[in-house]
Amino acid sequence: MNNVSRYPILAALTGLVTLLAAVTVSWQWLAAPSIFDIEMRLPGKDGAPARSQAARQAVDLVGVFQAFDGVPSVCEGSWPRFRGPDFDNIVKESAPLADHWGASGPPILWSVELGEGYAGPVVWNGRVYLLDYDEEERADAIRCLSLEDGREIWRRFYYVDVKKNHGMSRTVPAVTDDMLVTIGPRCHVVCLDPVTGGFRWGIDMQRDYGAEEPLWYTGQCPLIDGSRVILAPGGPDVLMMAVDGETGEPVWTTPNTPGWKMSHSSVVPTTIAGRYMYVYSAVGGVVGVAADGPEAGALLWQIPWNARVIAPSPVPLGDGRIFIAAGYGEGGMMIRVQENGGVFSAEVLYRHGPREGLAAEQHTPIYYDGLLYSIMPKDAGALRSQFVCYDPDGTLVWSSGQAQRFGLGPFLFADGKCYILGDTGELTMLRISRTAYEELDRAQVLHGHDAWGPIALVGDRMLLRDLTQMVCISVGAVS
Amino acid sequence: MDSRDKIDRREFIRAAAVLAAGGGAWMAARPDAEGMVWQIDPAKCIQCGRCATNCVLNPSAVKCVHTYEICGYCDLCSGYLQPGAKARDTGAENELCPVGALKRKFIEEPFYEYTVDEERCFGCAKCVKGCGQFGNGSLHLQIKRDLCVNCNECSIARNCPSDAIRRVPARRGYLFKQWVSGEESEG
Repeated sequence: MNNVSRYPILAALTGLVTLLAAVTVSWQWLAAPSIFDIEMRLPGKDGAPARSQAARQAVDLVGVFQAFDGVPSVCEGSWPRFRGPDFDNIVKESAPLADHWGASGPPILWSVELGEGYAGPVVWNGRVYLLDYDEEERADAIRCLSLEDGREIWRRFYYVDVKKNHGMSRTVPAVTDDMLVTIGPRCHVVCLDPVTGGFRWGIDMQRDYGAEEPLWYTGQCPLIDGSRVILAPGGPDVLMMAVDGETGEPVWTTPNTPGWKMSHSSVVPTTIAGRYMYVYSAVGGVVGVAADGPEAGALLWQIPWNARVIAPSPVPLGDGRIFIAAGYGEGGMMIRVQENGGVFSAEVLYRHGPREGLAAEQHTPIYYDGLLYSIMPKDAGALRSQFVCYDPDGTLVWSSGQAQRFGLGPFLFADGKCYILGDTGELTMLRISRTAYEELDRAQVLHGHDAWGPIALVGDRMLLRDLTQMVCISVGAVS
Repeated sequence: MDSRDKIDRREFIRAAAVLAAGGGAWMAARPDAEGMVWQIDPAKCIQCGRCATNCVLNPSAVKCVHTYEICGYCDLCSGYLQPGAKARDTGAENELCPVGALKRKFIEEPFYEYTVDEERCFGCAKCVKGCGQFGNGSLHLQIKRDLCVNCNECSIARNCPSDAIRRVPARRGYLFKQWVSGEESEG
């Protein structure tokens, strides 16, 4: 006799319990959310329209001219373009500058209200030029102010819609005796007479060359080289071009064979192996373009770099090496450009993330006396937001330390000193040192925020700005 | 010692009871006599991720919150997108949030609005860290008052490496970031 026959009640109970358990499990399984309730995380759920270069309305770049009663200053000196006369943010010959400001800080000579943004000024023949944004007129406003007292001499504005997207204005003009050139946040290029403000020509790099506006508008600053203006539209056909300063007509164009795009970086001239060339850090990679001779406009070398947002400009070291930086997690790289039998090529010497070596998010590092100086980005680990000094071989020389961190703001070298503007308008003065961070003084010169616009220095007059205000201060030594 | 100087046990208990009753009445009568609750100070938070795993609740009572007036409404949002994301869209492979709790919605060119799905958020702080590194820092962590059981000894406070969790009066409850004169401050 088997066990089932021997214990029929036990067998029945076991079967019942098994059946109940099976029903319970089945019920729970059936009642559980269906796999069809799982939300598929797929592209296109944000309702964004397809990204396209939709035709946009033409802008009348001639715009409107207004004259005011400001008078140019008799102060000598100039700050003619982005990063100064030599593109390096170093003032070679300056007036003696103060080592200390005292409790009251450096004297504020004048101030002006600006539209929201980060546009920096240039100075030429006693005039301050700035591409502002007029929020009431909804217009890019090219303003000419007196270096003496900040009073406006003239302005020319053209209507263009720019929404607040981390400020509106962005760029630094370029000026010579012959022309004043600006690039607006929406990629409009305008050339004016620098004295009268008379309109010469205008180019819409989006409409005319298919340029794709970078995120947060363009930060590219124009380059005037002799009688030509160098621009980098990064459109489908033209990566870089030179236009005649008199007419705005193209002199040469560089085909965009790599298919790279416009960044916030600016074109930098340099000479390598006796060849004068323009270096540009585009979205996609870095290029060198012949700047003169019959080959002007030819692509000499290129090296890919997959950085998404590039604000700093290339830093040539003078020996064929060029340091490149980008924010948003990218870091930096050192490349070497060489010539062999008339053919140029570029190689990467080293490349690193922001935690492993020299990096910059917004402002271009300064190369001075064989060392590189920069403010590290916020994702640089222990060095985040510190002012640092690196050997070009990639070795950290010194940093400002945990207690001395800065924002995204600009910095400039003059008279053996370094001036760093913090995000909220605190100006720090250092002695430039090869061995250590050596602070001289600090002063609150602005009281707003996002003080990210580049600094200009002419004589002992320093121009600085925050999001909505520009000040002219005297940093000269008191005799 | 003279026995008359001694306090007997009964007198001691009586005095202690009077003192306790008086103290309790005084405490209750104070204008600020209210409960204290645990909250995260965004200025001290280092986004270590421990809030997600150290709360006695599962999922954690800590959630990401968003101060919209600080947000830049950017297309390239470092709080929403993975570093090096191939595309700026809602594909899971591009999202930084492991559970898709941060949602994005197109408003108008070039602006996007970001909202937190609290049902999904478990306080890992990945988005908060990303937002603070490149953005304005509008995303931050807070202990949700409707979820928190207000333990006497908060488990995440005990394990917080930056002492970012402290007691605040219940009537405030939160330490939201605010935009005041261009600076982030507590609300």
